[in-house]
Amino acid sequence: MIPWVFLVCSLPLSAAVVPTKTLGVSPDLSSKYVPSKAGTWRCLDGSKEISWDFVNDDSCDCLDGSDEPGTGACPDTQFYCQNEGHIGTYIPSSRVNDGLCEVQCCDGSDERSGVCPNLCKEIGDAYKKKRDAELKIQREGAKVRSSYIAYAHQEKKRLEAEAQALAEQIKIKEKEVQRLQDIAERTESLSQAALEQKKKSPLYQSLLAHNNALKSLQREHNKHLEREKALGEILDALRTGYNPNYQDMAVLEAVRGWEELAGLPHINDVGKETEGSEESKEEDAVIEEELEEGALSADDLQREVPGLLDTDYISLMLEHEEHIQAPVEGSILFDLTSYMPDSVIPAYEDFKDILISWLQKFGIVSADGSAADSSRAQQALHDAENELDSLKKNMETAESDAKEIFNIHGFGAKGEWKKLDGTCLEKDTGDYTYEVCLFKEVKQKPNHGGTTFSLGKFESWNPSSEVEPGRPEFYQKQVYKHGTRCWNGPERNVVLKLTCGVENAILTVQELEKCEYEFTGTSPALCLSVQENGTKNGQPREEL
Amino acid sequence: MRTWSLLGVVTLLIAQESWAFKAHDFKTCSQSGFCRRGRDLSARAKEAKSWTSPYSVDPSSINISSNNAVFSAAVKSSLYPEVNFGLEVRVQEDGVARVRMDEVGGLRKRYDEAAGWALIEEPTISTAIKWTTSKKDIRAVYGEKKDIEVVVAFEPLRVSLLRGGKEQIVLNGQGLLHMEHFRTKVEAATATEEPEPEGAESPEGVESPEVEDQVVVEVPNPRAWFEGHEEDALWEETFGSWTDSKPKGPESLSLDINFPNHGTVYGIPQHATRLALPTTKGDDSTFTDPYRLYNSDVFEYLASSPVSLYGSIPLMHAHSTESTVAVFHLVGSETWIDVSHASEKSTETHWVSESGILDTFLLPGPTAEDVFKQYARLTGTPVMPTQWSLGYHQCRWNYVSSDDVRTVQKRFDEEDMPVDVFWLDIEYSEGHKYFMWNDKTFPDPVEMTNDVAVNGRKMVVIVDPHLKREDNYPAFKQASELGILVKPKSGEGEYEGWCWPGSSSWTDFFNPASWDWWKSMFKIQAGEKWSWTQSTTDVHIWNDMNEPSVFNGPEITMPKDNIHHGGWEHRDIHNINGMLFSNLTYQAVAERTDPPTRPFVLTRAFFAGSQRFGAMWTGDNLGTWEHMAVGVKMVLANGLGGLSFAGSDVGGFFGNPEPEMLVRWYQVGAFAPFFRAHAHIDTKRREPFLLDAPYKGIVKDILRLRYTLLPMWYTAFRETSVTGMPILRPQFVMFPKDKAGFDIDDQYYIGSSGLLVKPVTAKDVREAKVYLAEDQVYYDYFTNHAYRGAAKGKEITVAAELDQLPLFLRGGSVLATRERPRRSSPLMKHDPFTLRVALSKAGSARGELYLDDGETYDHQKGHFVWRAFVAERAGKKGLRLHSADLGAARPAEAVDGAALAVYDPANAFTAGIAQVRVEKVVVVGLAGKPSSVKVEGGAELVWEYTPGVAAGDKKEGTASILTIKDPKVLIHKDWAIVIQ
Repeated sequence: MIPWVFLVCSLPLSAAVVPTKTLGVSPDLSSKYVPSKAGTWRCLDGSKEISWDFVNDDSCDCLDGSDEPGTGACPDTQFYCQNEGHIGTYIPSSRVNDGLCEVQCCDGSDERSGVCPNLCKEIGDAYKKKRDAELKIQREGAKVRSSYIAYAHQEKKRLEAEAQALAEQIKIKEKEVQRLQDIAERTESLSQAALEQKKKSPLYQSLLAHNNALKSLQREHNKHLEREKALGEILDALRTGYNPNYQDMAVLEAVRGWEELAGLPHINDVGKETEGSEESKEEDAVIEEELEEGALSADDLQREVPGLLDTDYISLMLEHEEHIQAPVEGSILFDLTSYMPDSVIPAYEDFKDILISWLQKFGIVSADGSAADSSRAQQALHDAENELDSLKKNMETAESDAKEIFNIHGFGAKGEWKKLDGTCLEKDTGDYTYEVCLFKEVKQKPNHGGTTFSLGKFESWNPSSEVEPGRPEFYQKQVYKHGTRCWNGPERNVVLKLTCGVENAILTVQELEKCEYEFTGTSPALCLSVQENGTKNGQPREEL
Repeated sequence: MRTWSLLGVVTLLIAQESWAFKAHDFKTCSQSGFCRRGRDLSARAKEAKSWTSPYSVDPSSINISSNNAVFSAAVKSSLYPEVNFGLEVRVQEDGVARVRMDEVGGLRKRYDEAAGWALIEEPTISTAIKWTTSKKDIRAVYGEKKDIEVVVAFEPLRVSLLRGGKEQIVLNGQGLLHMEHFRTKVEAATATEEPEPEGAESPEGVESPEVEDQVVVEVPNPRAWFEGHEEDALWEETFGSWTDSKPKGPESLSLDINFPNHGTVYGIPQHATRLALPTTKGDDSTFTDPYRLYNSDVFEYLASSPVSLYGSIPLMHAHSTESTVAVFHLVGSETWIDVSHASEKSTETHWVSESGILDTFLLPGPTAEDVFKQYARLTGTPVMPTQWSLGYHQCRWNYVSSDDVRTVQKRFDEEDMPVDVFWLDIEYSEGHKYFMWNDKTFPDPVEMTNDVAVNGRKMVVIVDPHLKREDNYPAFKQASELGILVKPKSGEGEYEGWCWPGSSSWTDFFNPASWDWWKSMFKIQAGEKWSWTQSTTDVHIWNDMNEPSVFNGPEITMPKDNIHHGGWEHRDIHNINGMLFSNLTYQAVAERTDPPTRPFVLTRAFFAGSQRFGAMWTGDNLGTWEHMAVGVKMVLANGLGGLSFAGSDVGGFFGNPEPEMLVRWYQVGAFAPFFRAHAHIDTKRREPFLLDAPYKGIVKDILRLRYTLLPMWYTAFRETSVTGMPILRPQFVMFPKDKAGFDIDDQYYIGSSGLLVKPVTAKDVREAKVYLAEDQVYYDYFTNHAYRGAAKGKEITVAAELDQLPLFLRGGSVLATRERPRRSSPLMKHDPFTLRVALSKAGSARGELYLDDGETYDHQKGHFVWRAFVAERAGKKGLRLHSADLGAARPAEAVDGAALAVYDPANAFTAGIAQVRVEKVVVVGLAGKPSSVKVEGGAELVWEYTPGVAAGDKKEGTASILTIKDPKVLIHKDWAIVIQ
């Protein structure tokens, strides 16, 4: 490195006021801005020794730009505004001496003297007012937040209690199931042999085959219905969403075809309601399909097929036999004694009394004992098992819900969001009302008719890898994903940006790019108490 | 399942189809009646054993004007002896010969007003011309050296321009001149009974709907050798579902223009193709269709095609190692141009236009610089733009709200990335009624603009030419009441077509009654009538869709039989139409203030003369490498056509460019005169601050580089505002005798700055080859590595990693830059300059700097600074760098129509920047370490010297660098720095 040749500077032609050597230097660095005894100064990175005269001479000398803290001559450095009476702050060097008075630099030190007034008093006052207002909101919000936290704790207790209660119910239910199982097993085994024989009947076999076919048909039918529904939605979206201006005949044909098929008016005519439309409605009514005598309509099918499929064929078979043959001898259950060795009969009679009383109690057999059969016993068992399952599920849910309340990825470490689970907030933007059901789903509902679209289901809090889960800023962003797919585009997604506010509210909705929505809103759940907030970084929050 | 998978395949095919150029929306030559007739004529001429043009001058009719300057005569066609034509040839003061021909006393009048819109004034005719008549021809000899000659041969008619006895330009040399005269429609009742047998003579074997229109003429036709046997689409023409009624019948104009001694042609923008125009005819021609000029909104245009695009400039340059000439064929109707080469040294072109008179200018050159000047004398020089419009423009379809705009601005500022302009596309408007803000999303447009303007920035807001037909829309209502809307073919009522707002009508700017009205729309102060008061002087305008684009019209534009002011059909003025819109918008924006201030207007459609009204861009390009590459060529071609203020959308309008492509595209954009990033509504957001490292940092550096070089760009605009020289100069303009450079269109020089750039426009490129056509030293802009060219041309290979842009400063240049990053360019106004002195082999350098307020028209009154920085050898080994006042030296050619008699160095602008100084001087390529560096008459300066390769060496490697610290010399003063 060849040193600068130091010679007396030529007379300054510029009348610009030479800034003081420490202009733009922050207090903690000011000790470094002193000349050596030789009248030199070393760049802060140590790379170069320059004349003290070159510091803040509006000409960049150091590689790190440290010789020009106050002039903007060195790119990408920082200028410190003292802002006496207010809060000192840094601005980028690109804003120094650019002719604009920076709001952040209320003392006007960023421009040559005389350009910018010192507004620190006014700005400081205004800042204080603004800050006070913010603090007020924060305090109010924090109160609500505490109530949310309290709610979360109550909720946890409630859920735990519920789980406990359920556990007790489960115990009882388990016993009950056990008993019913015994009964069912017995009835089952008792009737098994006879049943097996009957089941060989061609009629029963044929019924099974029919049942199977009907089931398959139903499954296929449902599949088709779903597919048709999905196709209908796609075509509806195409119909309402396509741009007729593009004059794409393929799209136009598709839309017209769909409209004809679905009996919809042409989209361009919607809103131009005339008398003509009523006529066409009448016509629609006439076109209704004519059905064969006794054939089921689509609605009938929906209603009746499930019932048909649920038919208990064994009962049916038995009833059928009853109907065809002479009255059957007493039900197997009541006539078992005839098959038993005499020695067991007394014990059996005891058991039978208990069993029948149980069965009667559960409505499986009538007191006269004539209608009892194994399938009814099965049914009772099945119902009891279902109840048990549902109890267990409820308990699991209650337990896991209780745990989830304090999951940082869920309702926050303090459970402050639990209260808002499923809370729906709306924002009317004129054409649409947007509905955010927190932790559930975001929807776009048209105000003037049309299809409601899902904009996405709750996916996560702030997914950015730069934000640590559980930190306050983690809860300033929610992501909803996999909404209804856009025509010719991606699935709709929402980013919900939240700040502390007294109310739970959606403030703005913007579709920043196609199918990507940005919502902003407020929630008291984000209002940390002033102490919490103030000390979160171990230092007071002093931002402008 | 099978059917489903099949369906899947079909959908896939459809989906792919939808992402492509819709060829069926636009005519090929064979689908255009008059083009088909023209090409058939050319084919017959080619096949004929002998071929003589039927057109001849009647020698008895020759008339030479009293001042001897204008030659006129009657022209006859042997095909139609009863029809009269008139020919006129004038030579202008600057040597340009203008040839005009029209039908005389015909049934109707051919459109003859194109010149009125394109030319800045009626050219001055030279009075120093003397015409000499012989039996065979009439000729005029002129030029300083009396070496230019215009010859009009009588039989057949043939017009040629010669230099030094060598033919430069020949009209009708191949006998393809044909001016279809107006005729009465003969109802051929019998002929239609006997339809033409299938397949017979179907032109080019293409089955097209309008074949049905052909009428078989039974009687032997004595004109068939020339016109063909059939009357082809003379009175009606169908394309797709549209029928053009052609009430005037045939009126096309065919003309062959040959350049017998020029093997390369350029120009006729706008086409997505190479700069040196590939052939469209002859063996192995690149394209099979002619180049078309018919302003069109072409959705997802192809990256290599002769298909017409958004604008048309019927100017063609012909170049050889000996000279450059050009023809300006001034026609406003649809025009097709075939290009072929009979030999390597010659070029044949054939121009077929649908209507209009023959009005052709022969620009004699002989250098490219002369041609640019001659063309600028006709249609004007590019206007001196607002200074800020050379900064970076951030656009997107769409920034969705005023808060969105504010947020985008905030993000730029947080990243300290410079930007000058935020743009609003059509969605700002309520129902696409331009001027009418959507008050839900833009409730506070004035406050929003002010929030942008507070940082020295501007807004550009779109205003398209279609007016939504809604009575509560003031623009439509007023225009409708004034009766200034384009009329349908009936000539009554208002033409109605579809565009963004749905049912729309179009203002007829050919109607002078529309002019004051349009200007009144932009008034910010409230008046009696509605005007755009929700606007400020910081709002400038983007004119899109002015081809005009009509979604449900033939070829996505207006029917040709629509009626404009004066009863002219749309076919007559189609290519001019878009220019009038941007012209009037330009005037409207200028006149918002009193006195007027410089407007910025971006236009998509353009015509010869559009350079007077602002900038253009290459329309809706695709985010592909091919489009990035062809965009560079298109911008170069526009420059040759006079429209220097041009650029392509950075990032590509359609698609989502990957970061590498986006970075390269910023490098391309930063070196185009107009630098704007734009994106389609379906794309992901891609503002530079959204990029990840390292891409974000690279783009930030590119943006800052653009701003550093803004003084260079502005200085380059000054030059073109006076000379018409293109700002981006391709190799043939710089080195006209270097044949190897004629086809090079991927590297270029910027103005007279000495900067040579070769943008990288391909994926995964890590090094680039750059062609140096001269024996000169070139310094890498970033590293000061010295490269050596060679007199016979030399290709060098340089590193081109993603963050490296091949950018060189030619030895012999002085470049003035501003190195302090700012948020926007107006904030740089008082920043000091750095001078980079790149010594030539001979040890000298020169550069210029032009500055003015960048906003008002005061520069035309002499309020500017125009300096030359000259470094010359001083004494034995010294170098003297001095600043000289060019404004004082050459006031008449300073800037933009300001033909000043004297320049006052103490003008108001200079006073405002009196303290602006040079903060640093970098001298590259000194032979050795100086012993002293002083301001002349001053003390020793502070400097630092790093040894390296000297400019005069034969070696390559990092050049020596002398850095002079803050000489404190003022930019507007004369001074000298002496290096011993």
